Amino acid sequence: MKARLLALAGLLTVAMAPAAGAVDVKEVTTPLGIKAWLVQDKSTPVIALSFSFGDGSATEPEGKKGVTNLMSIMLTDGAGSLPAEDFRRREEDATASMGFGAAPDLLSGSLRVLSANRDKGFELLRLAMTEPRFDESMLEQRRAQAIAALNQAEQRPNTVALRTLTATMFEGHPYAHNVSGLRDSLKTLTPDDLRKRAHELLSRDGLLVSAVGDIDAAQLSRELDKTFGSLPATADKPVLPPWTPPTKPRTIVVERPVPQSSVLMAMPALSRDDPDWYATLVMAQILGGGQQSRLFEQVREKRGLAYSVTASLRSYAKAAMLIVSTASANEKVAETIDVIRKEIDRLRDDGVTADELTDAKTYLSGSLALALDSSGAVSNMLQSFQVDRLPPDYFVKRADLISAVTAEDVQRVARKILRDQVITTVVVGQPVGLTSDR
Amino acid sequence: MLPSPRAPIVTQVVVYKVGSADETFGKTGIAHFLEHMMFKGTKTVGPTEFAKTIARNGGRDNAYTDFDITGYHQTIASDRLELVMRLEADRMANLDIVDKELLPEREVVLEERRMRIENVPSALLDEKVRVKLFGLHQPYSMPPSGYPDQVRALGVNDLMTFYRQHYMPNNAVLIVAGDVTSGAVHRLADKYYGTIAAGRAPMRTRPDKGGPDLPQEIVFQDKRVVEPTWGRDYIAPSFRKGEIGHAPALEVLGRLFGGGELGRLSRALVVGDRIALSASAGYGPSSLGLTNFGLDVRPAPGVDIATIERAVDREMKKILDGHVEADEVERVQNQLLASAIYSQDSLGSGPRIYAGALSTGGTVEEVDAWPQLIADVKPADVVAAARHVWRESGCVTSLLMPPPKDKT
Repeated sequence: MKARLLALAGLLTVAMAPAAGAVDVKEVTTPLGIKAWLVQDKSTPVIALSFSFGDGSATEPEGKKGVTNLMSIMLTDGAGSLPAEDFRRREEDATASMGFGAAPDLLSGSLRVLSANRDKGFELLRLAMTEPRFDESMLEQRRAQAIAALNQAEQRPNTVALRTLTATMFEGHPYAHNVSGLRDSLKTLTPDDLRKRAHELLSRDGLLVSAVGDIDAAQLSRELDKTFGSLPATADKPVLPPWTPPTKPRTIVVERPVPQSSVLMAMPALSRDDPDWYATLVMAQILGGGQQSRLFEQVREKRGLAYSVTASLRSYAKAAMLIVSTASANEKVAETIDVIRKEIDRLRDDGVTADELTDAKTYLSGSLALALDSSGAVSNMLQSFQVDRLPPDYFVKRADLISAVTAEDVQRVARKILRDQVITTVVVGQPVGLTSDR
Repeated sequence: MLPSPRAPIVTQVVVYKVGSADETFGKTGIAHFLEHMMFKGTKTVGPTEFAKTIARNGGRDNAYTDFDITGYHQTIASDRLELVMRLEADRMANLDIVDKELLPEREVVLEERRMRIENVPSALLDEKVRVKLFGLHQPYSMPPSGYPDQVRALGVNDLMTFYRQHYMPNNAVLIVAGDVTSGAVHRLADKYYGTIAAGRAPMRTRPDKGGPDLPQEIVFQDKRVVEPTWGRDYIAPSFRKGEIGHAPALEVLGRLFGGGELGRLSRALVVGDRIALSASAGYGPSSLGLTNFGLDVRPAPGVDIATIERAVDREMKKILDGHVEADEVERVQNQLLASAIYSQDSLGSGPRIYAGALSTGGTVEEVDAWPQLIADVKPADVVAAARHVWRESGCVTSLLMPPPKDKT
């Protein structure tokens, strides 16, 4: 084993002949009906798999908040006859790494393995999903870690800001809950709770799979049926209620003893399947999408008020927000928020210039390819397209959708989204001259 | 030059052989501040134009300042390599710093420090540990972000002087990775960097010993801390300084003792004794001067620090007594070799690894020989490396904790 790894590790500088660059996505359907996207790439001895099940922490019952997240962590804490340590050792021996994670709408997973160890890697993944142990002693360890992480997060200004914002924007909706759960419910979770949650979420009907690297369609098809084939074909998926966005502006200040305040400003945005979604993307880019954005220029370059200031879209299955995020010294944070508000108003009232539109579109089209840094990065991106119900040739189509956006489109969505009457502002720190308005 | 045809993109990395450790006390933060000002215009490119041009061409760019190196990266469609080379070469030779741009950017630099250091208790403690471990006002004890009162005093002349001393082609390393040919890279590099005058690159010196009064203990109380963290740092050799022959064995030791949940510390303290939430060790040999071997334990609620220290000492003693098995060394070697293979799968990793080595005195051949060095480590080498580094006379023990509860 060591000799084989040593031979492969020595290839770092070996030159490869230039070849085609575009991402060629193939659709694979297995005999059991599992659908997957595949980008075969023999230039690397690596296989990266990304997958998700279509339900997440938002459907957790009251009193069990945090169960999805804890379950997802513990799927790799021992399975079948292998207690946690033995399982982890097998994983290392197979030079594989796998992990699961919870989000409000999703339970996602990933596997990375050297192609020489393909069978071993997939077999461990099967074991983790079909025979997880949820041993009591491991649960105690994970529970203690989860509670300590929650406690420490309460002192981290940007985490507090995001949690406060989510709780406010989604008040009364399941999205208001933190994926990491609540201390009180974490304390009461049992192995049976985790088992039940795994059974509810791990089924083949919501399964989406992307694979990238040194594996062909026939091999992938075989591995997927072996790995996911014994999961139940269907599961009852509870339906989330619709979200009613806030209709009033709000400012919330949370005191923390730090010299720099964290700021989040959120507005309800358009959902991912709205035809104006691409115009929203371009608008967010012009407002706060990097070093050529208006916020970067006005807040950072001109006034030195912050190191980082961004505007980005955050999409859920049943909701979407535009979030402006920054951090500024306590003495300056009120001025920073003022400048941001003026830029929001200006974009809504005066629209964007032709140059800004062109630059933003060029950046958004070009930057996608730049994210394709590794097999894992490509499979994660494909996976995110699958979750958004996009077609396999989206890599190609996306540029056209973005380039079709006009200045009028941006102005129209700006009027819909950038409204003073619906901005929720959260400030965490010791801001001078700012107080909560309730 | 690292060819990779997987996607039609290219990454250019230019790393200067200068970092915060080359500053003098009184002018700390100058290397980092200069890195920010490198985006603020040259004689022919306007302020902010550098980043805007990259973005307008669908590219991304980034920069960073570390103790030993200052790096500038751009990733862009491979047919735009010439553009990023022209821009990077221009600011290597023709930087133009003016007050109008410098003054607001100085505030940005201070905001960055607030975000990364002053808002983060563990980062504040790390600065204190470095002062004890490496000695006051020494290369690795002055923070790369600089002390705020010194940063506030930095002006155009300070930055331009530092720039002229350190930014020149013969004090830089150029790495290009991605979908390009070696011929094209050489042609463009000759055209743009080859025409810039060389200068006299300053000698870089690093002390050959740690702080004067070791061992030391630091207790840092901060009301933003919820639960305590215990740490210990040892002065250690790097690939370049000290007993460099120990470096590969120290990498194996770091993983074996404290790498992940299968490391000895975690198995003993978290799983076995159940006295800790996590326990890990860390060692990085890529440093021009001496480096540190660190231990980090988060105690379980209610467990006192003395219990943690006894357990850590017990685990260290087993290694010092020679209890290192061949199969666990091999397991760790396989992990390290696998990580080298996975780094081939990433466009970013290769350039980072080579740039780091070449700008701290290493060679391509040395980077390529690393897997063999790791594979050759024997259990006895691990024990010898531990005995060399784990010495009381070379360590700082630290405790980060909340202030005592107010009884009133």
